[in-house]
Amino acid sequence: MKKSYFDRKLLAIPYMIFLVLFVILPLLVVIYYGFTDAQGHMSFSNFVAFFSNGRTIGTLVYSFVISLVTTTICLLIAYPIAFILAKGEYCRKHAFLMIFVLPMWINFTLRITALKEILTMLEGNLAYYPFMNTIICMVYDFLPFMIMPMYNSLTKLDDSMLEAGADLGANKMQVLIHVLLPLSIPGIISGVTMVFLPAMTNYVVLDMVYNSTYIMGSLIGSYFSSYDWNNGSVISAILLIFIGMFTIATNRLVGNTEGGRA
Amino acid sequence: MRKNKIIPLIMSLVLGVLPLLSGCGDEESDVITLRVSSWEEYIDEGDWDEDELIDLDDGTEIFGENSLVEDFEEWFYETYGKKVKVEYSTFGTNEELYNQITIGDVYDLVCPSEYMIMKMMREDMVEPYSESFKDTTDEGNYYSRGVSPYIRQVFDKLNIEGMTLTDYAAGYMWGTLGLVYNPEFVSEEEAAHWSLLQNRKFNRQLTIKDSVRDAFFAAIAINYFDDITTPEYLADPDYSDNLSKKLNLTDVETVDSVEAILTDIKNNVYAFETDAGKADMVTGKVVANEQWSGDAVYTMDQADEDGLELCYSAPEEGTNLWFDGWIMLKKGIGDDADKKMAAEAFVNFLSRPENAIRNMYYIGYTSSISGGDSDLIFEYMNWNYAAEDDEEDTVDYSVGYFFDMDDPNADENYTVTIPASQTRRQIFAQYPTKDVVDRSVVMACFDDESNIRINRMWTNVRCFDLGSIFE
Repeated sequence: MKKSYFDRKLLAIPYMIFLVLFVILPLLVVIYYGFTDAQGHMSFSNFVAFFSNGRTIGTLVYSFVISLVTTTICLLIAYPIAFILAKGEYCRKHAFLMIFVLPMWINFTLRITALKEILTMLEGNLAYYPFMNTIICMVYDFLPFMIMPMYNSLTKLDDSMLEAGADLGANKMQVLIHVLLPLSIPGIISGVTMVFLPAMTNYVVLDMVYNSTYIMGSLIGSYFSSYDWNNGSVISAILLIFIGMFTIATNRLVGNTEGGRA
Repeated sequence: MRKNKIIPLIMSLVLGVLPLLSGCGDEESDVITLRVSSWEEYIDEGDWDEDELIDLDDGTEIFGENSLVEDFEEWFYETYGKKVKVEYSTFGTNEELYNQITIGDVYDLVCPSEYMIMKMMREDMVEPYSESFKDTTDEGNYYSRGVSPYIRQVFDKLNIEGMTLTDYAAGYMWGTLGLVYNPEFVSEEEAAHWSLLQNRKFNRQLTIKDSVRDAFFAAIAINYFDDITTPEYLADPDYSDNLSKKLNLTDVETVDSVEAILTDIKNNVYAFETDAGKADMVTGKVVANEQWSGDAVYTMDQADEDGLELCYSAPEEGTNLWFDGWIMLKKGIGDDADKKMAAEAFVNFLSRPENAIRNMYYIGYTSSISGGDSDLIFEYMNWNYAAEDDEEDTVDYSVGYFFDMDDPNADENYTVTIPASQTRRQIFAQYPTKDVVDRSVVMACFDDESNIRINRMWTNVRCFDLGSIFE
């Protein structure tokens, strides 16, 4: 037994090398630049600069709102679809799933370009509704990423749980709120994680629909292109802190529901 | 059990060794390797269709069969009996090139814009051209013999910390910054000033470049419009120097006014565009956009194919004279005399009039080469723009300054008879008239303090203004 344990450990070496080279090292570089000034001295000045400028905070809020609205709409659209796909009783189920996942196979700039042309046909001039267009394109872009994890978690869900709820006298609404929703929370969380944070930095979509206001991603890009590694890195670090807080919060949430179930 | 142990070991070894393997190249001492980096789509890549053959009036035929890089390798071997291998790569922005170099990429010869050349000179990164390269008695020095006297004069005047640009850079393409507009909607008078970008009549129908420097220039010209257009200012013998100083101001007050103007422009334009501007002009989404002259030629050519007539204007109050030039990098060239010779030969090869024409035909920009003793460049201009014999409404268009600055009668020798509409179109973008270049300024390389101020201004313009919600 001991011997086979040793073997498995060896298998992890390539992965560890990958992890160190492409995850840990870049992270350390980001943190190093974020908390040093142009001369290389330890400093919190970049951090202070970000939070003392009304405009950069404005962009943080703007990105947050775009992200929040995108995620909410994605969630509202994706959940019923994932449920029907997972639990619906109809033929050609896989064909339907394919239709929703198919866009993921096409390069996203191509997809957005196509959508942009459709929106131009409808609106005439995209520049009048930059926020709305951004949201439409973001939702279109991220929807498959929301459907897939929810579909996966819903297919695994045992139907007998729902039947038990109904047998015990709950009406359809009560089954939905007290049984189905709590049980699908892990799927919802992984869906939200895959949409919320990328949406805060996906500035290519804004560029493509002619929204000239910066979000966090474009702000980082603009600092880097003016060789300001420090201010660019501190914003990346701030986003990292966001991700960290988000992960901790969701882990708590998952922990609570699991605890509740036991 | 043994087997199980070996497979993961091999896997991890392979993964670890792979990156090392790619680092070992074959070193052949008799082949000179020249690492060149330039803008995307900025050199003739050959493979022309047969009907694209350029047959000039004097009987010369020019055709791009292979790429200029391949032709150079062949020409170098025939001329010097040595083999050269060009590793040609491209970059998207000056900043990208600079970042690549500072991160550790090594190039021998690169082609950034004027301000980046000056920044690199200031940072002691640039290897000066050799004396033999500048020797105009040598037939093989196509650049020094063929560069336009106008471009040479601009290069002579530009210096940074005592170093003159002429010693460090060889001009490649040049042009002006202006406005492409659709004459159906925008009048010539409206397009004659940068303030078009603020004109509410075209609300959300204009685009401006998503680039700090290009946006800054338009805004500073708007800011000082009243100062720089008075008759006294224009009549001043030092007009050119004064204008250059004025439009290169970066003090707090100027930058603050520019911020206000750019915010106003942001609220009026369709978008700050990175690359969509050309296509949006052709499809008619927008009626005017800020554009570099070379891209303007491309845009107008594209629109012509669709039967849409577009025009170009270099605003009257002042335009930005820009150019890209070849510079050798110290880090790449080092003490390698052969390499330096090959780099200079590459510049000379591109400066041969027929190659300059191939590049101009292929990319639409204007070469800094006027041809020297050769009349090919002027012949090409004629071939490109001269009116057909049966054309009725024609005008004479003179660009003597570009070909010969000493001869007072140069304009007579270098005049093309063109269709009247062309004075606002391709030829005007490609070879601007004397009065346009007289009121053009080169945008300097700002010092660090100004750069920080301008970048902060740009961030403020582009970031979301929370206050706007409550308005």
